[in-house]
Amino acid sequence: MKPGRVVASFDSATGMLRALSRFLHGRDVPLIGQGPPAAEAWAAALLGAANRLPRGVKERAYAASGWAEAVPLRRVGGIRSGELARWVTGHYPRRRSDVAFVGSANGAMMHLCAALGAPWLPQTLLIPVRRHGVHPDEPRADLLRTQEAGQALVSANPDLVLHQMHDANQDRLMIAGMSYFRVKWRRLPAAYREHLEQTLESGATLVVADCELRWPVTRVGPRHVFQHGAPGGATPDEYRHGGPRVAGYLRRYGSPHRRWDYPEADGESPEAEWGFEPELLADLRELAARNGWRLARMSFAEPERLSPVVADLYREWYRRRGLPADRLLAECFLLLEPWWTLRSGSVPYWMVFNSEPSRASLDAYLDAAGPFEEIRLLLFSHGVESVGLATIGQWRETLARATKLGVFTGVDTRAYPRDFAGLVRAHQELARIRATVPMPLPMRWETAEKFLTDRDELRWDIEEPTAADGSPGR
Amino acid sequence: MSLQRQDHVVGDLKVAGHRRRGPGQAVVCVHGAGVSSRELLPLVDVLGERYDAWAIDLPGFGASGKPDRPLVLPALADVVAAWAERTGLERPCLLGVSYGCQVVVDVAVRHPETAAALVLAGPTVDPRGRSPWRLAAQWLRNAPGESPRMMPLNVADYRDAGPRTVLAAFGESIRDRVEDKLPLVTVPALVIRGGKDRMVPQAWAEEVTRLLPYGRLEVMDGLPHMTVYRDPRRVAAAVAGFLSEVAV
Repeated sequence: MKPGRVVASFDSATGMLRALSRFLHGRDVPLIGQGPPAAEAWAAALLGAANRLPRGVKERAYAASGWAEAVPLRRVGGIRSGELARWVTGHYPRRRSDVAFVGSANGAMMHLCAALGAPWLPQTLLIPVRRHGVHPDEPRADLLRTQEAGQALVSANPDLVLHQMHDANQDRLMIAGMSYFRVKWRRLPAAYREHLEQTLESGATLVVADCELRWPVTRVGPRHVFQHGAPGGATPDEYRHGGPRVAGYLRRYGSPHRRWDYPEADGESPEAEWGFEPELLADLRELAARNGWRLARMSFAEPERLSPVVADLYREWYRRRGLPADRLLAECFLLLEPWWTLRSGSVPYWMVFNSEPSRASLDAYLDAAGPFEEIRLLLFSHGVESVGLATIGQWRETLARATKLGVFTGVDTRAYPRDFAGLVRAHQELARIRATVPMPLPMRWETAEKFLTDRDELRWDIEEPTAADGSPGR
Repeated sequence: MSLQRQDHVVGDLKVAGHRRRGPGQAVVCVHGAGVSSRELLPLVDVLGERYDAWAIDLPGFGASGKPDRPLVLPALADVVAAWAERTGLERPCLLGVSYGCQVVVDVAVRHPETAAALVLAGPTVDPRGRSPWRLAAQWLRNAPGESPRMMPLNVADYRDAGPRTVLAAFGESIRDRVEDKLPLVTVPALVIRGGKDRMVPQAWAEEVTRLLPYGRLEVMDGLPHMTVYRDPRRVAAAVAGFLSEVAV
């Protein structure tokens, strides 16, 4: 199977990879980078019409779209991590750079990379795996059904750790016909090594994005863990013990269960989607030392901790350029537009998902940063009225904090959270903005580093190259 | 208290007014191109619960006097300013609808003492759609979203005004460069756009708000160009929220 078909296209890591790599090629992200730009108007019309379909039909269509791109169980053992890595690096231009990023996926960090003109190599990818006959509210059954395929995958790929993930709250529709296999590299793949060596100069900085978020897991086997639940609207405790919100949610969805039956957690591990697996550090250290690069480990407690930092960095950057910096673009999950962010002179604030904690983090940023004249909101629709979902009314309250205009961008407020046209319309409507500013030259890494190392949200551990290692290793 | 008809003579022309006198400040509604206050009466009725609400017919339209030749936009704006002075209203809020927005913006810029605040409901004309054909195409695309009950009112309005005046008004709306005047509006202004308005694209409504020094945008999901006719209560609530905020 082609690596592009193995990896999920509607995932955070792939969405971010497409958005950033397209930006580095000088492009925006129509159709979330998944189709020809000329098809945007048609796709928007088609999905807009689909938004009007009855709820049951839409839910089935959404689940089917996920199932269609998932890998059949029997083929999982044939996946090779080296090919996946080569597919990742193939996205980027081969361009000399004084900084590159590797590690956790993070929307705010994509804007940091865009500002610097730097690539980011993800540690984690999602492989959706087809499977049938498991009720979404029975995580234990999901693991039983797919455990063998998971073991085949890790045996064939000793450089990977498999984080099997089951979130019946937010991925309810998707997991009806598939399992989430998130794989993390614990050894640096050859393609990453080559890409970095070809693009980074001696004395350059390799930044390791280290999201420290952890989650309870069940150890299934060597390099194979099972994670029940995921960050978002529900708390780890609600996944574990249930509760009134969980019971109400399960009742609304006609589930025979009132809490989830899952294999008991026996430890903790880096969170499947966002967390950084530190085992990779050894290879990175060795590579940096050999090439005379600085290795800068940028640690943050959870994904959204980086959002206010990057937003403030952009604000300061705009102000230095004599631009007002009074426009905020709030982005959600994989809906990211680095190119239009800069062309519209917007300050980017990335939210991990569409749930209440994310909205609270945006509100907290608005409290701290002071009023913006304009607030635009891109809202990802995952098809489920999940526990902790922030409602349109709540988002409206946040938008009302703009002094001039607070608007949904590409959101069908009547269809949310089953607004599938939003994937296309977010870019379509954003690209219509009339107030544009020129694309700036890339920010210098020293400027960014000075700003970033001063921030309390981040912890830095910088290893300078020693004199002995100072010569390039090639 | 119900709607009352109150006419005034401004210059040598009769200006027909419909009023529902509520306790608050004066809010004066100004209609769009070719039409009259007919479409605004439901809004006046609701606004009148809280405000001294008016809708006037511009000269040449509805029940107002007919000038010898159709008035150009600045002349219409002058009449509105003179009417406000004639009636002795204390710095009203002027609420324009469609082309009426262009009229009240002209009032605010050239007679800055007249209005204390503006409401622009469906502000025309998007500079990027500034041609008769585009305007006609936008009008047709918007029409299915409008209330079917508005059609006979429009027909009566066009009949009252006559084709020459109606066409002249559309011509004026296209010639007027409202975008150059918006930055000169010194009073607070609320911009209202129907989420399904095909005559006022979202990007243009945002640009209008951005150009206004004290602008604020409210998008009303699901409504067409004539938000004021389709959902007068929602518009009145937005106006009330705005006026309480700017405290004029």
